[in-house]
Amino acid sequence: MIDFVQNTIDGVMIGSSYALLALGFTLIFGVMRRLNLSYGPSIMIGAYLGTWIYVQAGAGPLAVAAAVVLGAVLAGVYVERLCFAPMGFAAGIASMVSSFAIWMQLEQAAILVLPRHTYPFPPLATGAPLTLGPFLLRVDHLIMLACALGLAAGVQIVLYRTRFGLALRAIIGNPTAAHLVGINVKAAVLGAFAAASALGGVAGYLVLATDQQVTPMFGMWATMKGLIAMMIGGLGSIPGAVLGGLLLGVVEVHSQWYFGPQVRDLVAYLLLFVVLVVHPGGFIGRAPGREGTMPEQRA
Amino acid sequence: MDDYLIGVLSNIGVISFVALSAYLLLLTGEISFGQQAFFAIGAYSAGIATAMWSWPLSAALVFGAATGGASAALVGLPTLRLHGLYFAIATLAFAEMVRLLFELFQYQVLIDGELVGPNGADGFRGIRYIFQNDISALQFMGLIYALLAATLVGFLLLERSVLGVSFRMIGEDSVLAQLQGIAVARHKVLAAGLAGALAGIGGGLYAHLTTYVEPRVFDVMLGVLSLAYGLIGGLGTALGPLLGVLIDIGLLESIRALAGYRMIIFGGLVALLLIVRPRGLLDERVVHHLGRLWHRAWTHMRMAPR
Amino acid sequence: MDAHADGTEMTKITIGTLVAACCAAGAWAADVRAKADVTCKPTATKLEYDCIIKLSNARTGEPLKDVTLTVGADMPSMPAAHNVRPVKAEASAEAGTYQARIQLEMLGDWAVRLDLSGAVRDRVIAILRFEADRVAPPPPAASKAPPRHRH
Repeated sequence: MIDFVQNTIDGVMIGSSYALLALGFTLIFGVMRRLNLSYGPSIMIGAYLGTWIYVQAGAGPLAVAAAVVLGAVLAGVYVERLCFAPMGFAAGIASMVSSFAIWMQLEQAAILVLPRHTYPFPPLATGAPLTLGPFLLRVDHLIMLACALGLAAGVQIVLYRTRFGLALRAIIGNPTAAHLVGINVKAAVLGAFAAASALGGVAGYLVLATDQQVTPMFGMWATMKGLIAMMIGGLGSIPGAVLGGLLLGVVEVHSQWYFGPQVRDLVAYLLLFVVLVVHPGGFIGRAPGREGTMPEQRA
Repeated sequence: MDDYLIGVLSNIGVISFVALSAYLLLLTGEISFGQQAFFAIGAYSAGIATAMWSWPLSAALVFGAATGGASAALVGLPTLRLHGLYFAIATLAFAEMVRLLFELFQYQVLIDGELVGPNGADGFRGIRYIFQNDISALQFMGLIYALLAATLVGFLLLERSVLGVSFRMIGEDSVLAQLQGIAVARHKVLAAGLAGALAGIGGGLYAHLTTYVEPRVFDVMLGVLSLAYGLIGGLGTALGPLLGVLIDIGLLESIRALAGYRMIIFGGLVALLLIVRPRGLLDERVVHHLGRLWHRAWTHMRMAPR
Repeated sequence: MDAHADGTEMTKITIGTLVAACCAAGAWAADVRAKADVTCKPTATKLEYDCIIKLSNARTGEPLKDVTLTVGADMPSMPAAHNVRPVKAEASAEAGTYQARIQLEMLGDWAVRLDLSGAVRDRVIAILRFEADRVAPPPPAASKAPPRHRH
């Protein structure tokens, strides 16, 4: 029983990293209705920048975090300019596949610059884990959870209380109408991308600082986890992203505890598949009807 | 023909199958990131058949196609309601599940004092049918291309048939197609099954070509690449995906001097091409124009005074 | 913690063994299966490695002489994409030992492909992780996710 609760606690902690990743994903997906398969790799570019200054210049955690965010934003803007901006809201799969091509590009670029299998990352928090009765709570996990909830609240506030957020919601609703009303759609989309990348950078930093290392597999991992969390929680919904992330984390930790790492990943994908087949909107989102897919959705 | 060239051409041939598999689904308007799953199922099935059950190659390839096609049709059923992005992600999820299942799959048989068979993440070694039966590399390449040619003929016939037109109609607008009386659901499952069988044949050939498969081979990258081939080469004809494979593996070969930068260059090229030509090089318009040119040349030749 | 074969798997394996033993006995008597021991070291040039390959008969353990050995490599995670130009290996003084210098395109896990022709025709695959300073068999399958530390 203690194990079960401990695992659930761990799951929530790990899930908060997924929630962070899903936040940025949701922002891009909600605004562009496109899947950015380069999301993870662009965060990885930031991560590699961070580890580089850590290894080369012995930079402190804050500087590394800033580097990660900066790198992620630069990579994200690059992806947006190359894969999404030229396509506008048409040619759905083309932009998606294009973002994957850039994924290959970013991943190889990172491996060329830093070819080893693993690079160190400064720890998020050292020291013994806190105890709450019989349960252990790692400090770095708690920081992650706090950041996830805080950032989710922050994004929600920006979306609903600022002009920028209003513009984004207008674009989410109907991009053409938003344009007609005078909103600079291109600039807003670029801004959303940058914001999403920044979120991803923070998420990446927190995850990697908790693990204290970064490997070339991180890009793919981050994209997949963010994607799964977003989809099971609910598309285009900030609370959904958080819920999805936490849920995924809990399910994964339990699966790994009883069945091992492959089953853990298997269950994650199975969950995604089942949610898609049964209720594609995820737990919170609305199930998309025909109108949910735009006519430009086909090739 | 030197061995290296045979190797490259064989690779091109085998990958073309999974590219054509993704293309077939694209015709019906569905994006699949998951055809590598059926490639994997076909590879393992055919490998098990020859290396562990001592079946002849032809039976093994048919078995690979059958398992690939059946599993694809089975997956096609629950995903019928899904469109566009959701379908794509579902296929991605399914393919990753298959890959992970293969990482857990252990089935080994003691042959000649040694364990042969799939061993989870360590893969499946020793699919040595072509060595045991003295089939030269050139002969196997011939087999690959014979099957590929047959597949292309099949596509050619498909394009001209009612079935092919139905597929494209469903791809354009499935609601309209349904109103025209086309049983959309059945056609989609059929397309899924055929695509899966194609990938399965390719997988079986791949397993015997390399003698070794492991789950890592069948990851997301293969799936998205097979889709990209059609998008680059063109969606107007089955030769489009082949052109895509040729550009990739052919291009990857010619830029050997820039070792290690290939993905950077290839990735960038793909992105740029997709901006300029979202439906690929040989898209429907080009194919149509080429067809008319050909038709005009043909009638001109026939009408020329003797 | 991996899943293990359960009871039904054992049954399958037993049946499979019987069938295989019956059918295979004749077909495979004439076929020589090769076993390979591959050790590689990085050279001064980036991404270039010197490999020493010891070939032996998998059944009898006898070293395989007079074999034409071509060494190539593929990256398992990108099938058919990285076509490293195969290199003909040179026979060393020791029977059954061959030497080859290969040029890779990237660091990482490669499936080194040993194509034998001449006296024996076979193909053996050896998976090795090529790093900048050393080459070793890759560690047992790790999942793709970053490791999760338990307390």
